Amino acid sequence: MKYQTQKIALVYFVVAMALFAVQVSLGLLMGYVYVDGNFLVDLMPFNILRMLHTNSLIVWLLLGFFGAAYYLIPEESEREIHSTKLAYLQLAILVLGTAGVVVTYTFNLFEGNFFLGKEGREFLEQPRWVKAGIVVAALIFLYNISMTVLAGKKTAISNILLLGLWLLALLFLFAFVNPANLALDKMYWWFVIHLWVEGVWELVLAAILAFLMLKLTGVDREVVEKWLYVIVATALFSGILGTGHHFLWIGTPGYWQWIGSVFSTLEIVPFFAMMAFAFIMVWKGRRDHPNKAALLWALGCAVLAFFGAGVWGFLHTLHGVNYYTHGTQITAAHGHLAFYGAYVCINLAIISYAMPVLLGRDPYNQVLNMASFWLMSGGMVFMTFTLTFAGTVQTHLQRVMGMGFMEVQDQLWIFYAMRFGSGVAVVLGALLFIYSILVPRGEIVKPGPVERDRLTRDADHVVAE
Amino acid sequence: MQTITRAWLILLALSAASTAVSFNVTLQLPAQIPLLGGIIILLLAWAKARIIAARYLELAQAPAYLRGFSLVLALFMLTLLGLYVAATPFSG
Amino acid sequence: MTQTQTDQPFDQLPGDLMMWILIVSELLVFGAGLLAFMAVRVTDPAGFALAQDQLHRSAAGINTVVLVTSGYLAARAVGYANAGRIAATRWALLAAGGLGMVFLGIKFTEYAEKAALGIRPETHPFYTFYYLLTGFHAAHVIAGLVIFALLALRPTPRNLQVGAAFWHMVDLVWVLLFPVIYLLR
Repeated sequence: MKYQTQKIALVYFVVAMALFAVQVSLGLLMGYVYVDGNFLVDLMPFNILRMLHTNSLIVWLLLGFFGAAYYLIPEESEREIHSTKLAYLQLAILVLGTAGVVVTYTFNLFEGNFFLGKEGREFLEQPRWVKAGIVVAALIFLYNISMTVLAGKKTAISNILLLGLWLLALLFLFAFVNPANLALDKMYWWFVIHLWVEGVWELVLAAILAFLMLKLTGVDREVVEKWLYVIVATALFSGILGTGHHFLWIGTPGYWQWIGSVFSTLEIVPFFAMMAFAFIMVWKGRRDHPNKAALLWALGCAVLAFFGAGVWGFLHTLHGVNYYTHGTQITAAHGHLAFYGAYVCINLAIISYAMPVLLGRDPYNQVLNMASFWLMSGGMVFMTFTLTFAGTVQTHLQRVMGMGFMEVQDQLWIFYAMRFGSGVAVVLGALLFIYSILVPRGEIVKPGPVERDRLTRDADHVVAE
Repeated sequence: MQTITRAWLILLALSAASTAVSFNVTLQLPAQIPLLGGIIILLLAWAKARIIAARYLELAQAPAYLRGFSLVLALFMLTLLGLYVAATPFSG
Repeated sequence: MTQTQTDQPFDQLPGDLMMWILIVSELLVFGAGLLAFMAVRVTDPAGFALAQDQLHRSAAGINTVVLVTSGYLAARAVGYANAGRIAATRWALLAAGGLGMVFLGIKFTEYAEKAALGIRPETHPFYTFYYLLTGFHAAHVIAGLVIFALLALRPTPRNLQVGAAFWHMVDLVWVLLFPVIYLLR
C-alpha cells in the first residue's frame, strides 16, 4: 500500500461484503418463496423481500465502487485522499440510510408521512429523507475525490472513473420525480437505473477493469487507455438511447420501439470490447502477478458480463420479442447474470486485488477465493439457465396460450426448485469468498518447476509488485 | 482537376441520375421490368456512398479498408434489394 | 506479437480512431433503421407507396446536391488547413456550414408542411421511420454545424480532418437514406 488513505477502502469493502451476504441470503429466502408460495407470507411479504434484495444489491455495489475509488484514486493521482474524515462520514450516512430503509419497510413505519414514510412506489422506494441522505453522501464523495484528482496527476482511468461517478450522482436526482401516472413513474425509474447500469456504471466498470489490467498484466498504460476510450464511447453511444428498450410496452410513445431495439442491440458492443480487452491484455501481458484470484474475477467479469448483459440482454431486447417476454422469468434470468457478471464480479475483483494489500497479506494466492469464484459463478450460471427455461415455458403458456398467471406458476415449479438449489450454491460461494478474504493469513502455493525456472531466468518475469 | 473535385462532380451527376430514375419509376415507364428502377436507385446509392468513403473520408489511402467497406455496403444493399423485391407484387 | 504489429491495422486508417468508431456506430444505427424500414414495408407496400407520395422528391433531391456540395467544401477546407491557409480554411468552413443551414431550412420546411397536413410519427409506420431516420440525421447536421464553428475557432489540420470526417459521415448517411426513403417504390 503506497498511500495511507487507501485504508478507507478497507472499511467500505467490509461493509459492502456484509451487505452482499445479506443480499444473497434474502435472495435465497425469495427463491424458497417461489418453491413454497406461503413461506414467510405473514412475517416478510414477497414484495418487501424483493425490495430488500434489489436495493441491498445496488447499495453494496455502490459501496464497492466508492471503496474502489478510494483505493485506486490515490495510486492514480499519486496523492493522499483529500479528507479521511469526510470519507467515513459519507459511509456513516449511507449505512444509516440503508438501515432506515430496512426498518421503515419491514415495519411499515410513518405510513403517509411526506419525509419519513415510504413513497408507496414499486421502485425508487426509499423514504425521502434517505434519498436526501444519499445525495448528501454522494456530494461529500464527489467533493472528496474531485479535490484529490484535481490536486494530483490526471490519468484516463481516474478521469473516466470520476466522470462515471459524477453522472451516477446526477442521474439519481430523477429519483425525486414521483408522478402519479404509473407509466411516467416507470419512465423516470429507468432514467435512474437504466442510465446507471447500461450507461455510467459501465464507465466505472471499465475504469476499474482498466486499473486491474494495468496492475495485473503490466501492459503499457497507453494501450490500456486506448481500449478504455473505445469501451466508454461505445457504451455511451448505445446505452443512452438504449433506454428505449424499457419503453417498448409500458405506455410510452411507439417510436421508442425502434429506437430501443436498434440502440440496445448495439449495447452488446462495449461488453464484447471489454471481454476482448481483458483477454488481449492478459495475452500481451509481461507481468505474472501472483494474485491469480483477482485476475480470475476480472476475466470472469468480462466473460459473464458479455453473456449476462450482452447476450441475455439481446435475447429479449427487440420489441417484437419483448412483446411476449416482458416481465417474465426471461427478464429475471438476464437481470441475475448481468448484475452478477458485470457489477458483482468487478467489485469482487477489486476486493480480491486490494484486500490482501490493505491487510498486509500479499503476495497471496487465494486458492479458497478462486474456489468461491467457481462455486458462485457456477451457481449463478445454472440459475440463469433454469430461469431462462422457466421464462421460455412461461412466455409460451401465459403469453401465447393465454393461461392465467398463477396457473402457469404451478407449471414452473420444477425450475424454481432447481433455481433454489443453485441459489444455495451462490450463497455458499459468497460466504466462502468473504471468509477467504477476511480470515486466512499465510496461504501461498509454492511455484512449480516451470514457474521457478522462469523466475530464475527471465528478468522481466515479475512475481509481485 | 483535383481528385476531390472530380468526386464531387460525379456525386452531383449520380444524385441527378437517381432522382431522374425515380421520376421515371413514378411514371411507370419500364412496366416490363418493374424492379429495374429500384435496382438502379440502390446501385447508384451504393456508388455514391463508396465515393464519399473513398474520397471525402479518404479511405482510398487504405485500400484494404475501402474494399471491406465496399463489400459490407454491397451486402447491405443486396439485403435491401431482397426486401424491396419481397415487397413488390408480381402480376400473373 | 509485439505492440507495434498489432496496432498497425488501425494506423492505416486516415484520421482519428475514435471518429471511425463513431462513424461505424452511426452507420450501424442508420443501417439497422433502413433494414427495419424495408422489412416493415414488405407488410404494407401499398400503404408505404401512398405515404411516400406525400414527400417532396425534388426538394430532397436538391438537398442531396446541397449536402454533397457542402461535403466537398469541407474536404477543401481540410486541404486548405493542410496548406496552412487559415483564411481560406475559414471561408470554406463558412460556405460548408451555410449549405448545412440550407439543408436544414429545406428539411424543416418539409417537416412544417407535414405537420400542417396533420402527419405525425404515429400516422403510419412509414412516417414513424421517416421522422425517426431523417430527424436523427437532421440532429447530426445540427451537431455538424456546431463542429464547424469549433473548427473555425481552432483550424489546425488535425482538427479539420477529424471534424470533416464527422460531416462526411452525415453526408454518407444521407446518400443512403434519401434513395431508400424518398425514391424507392
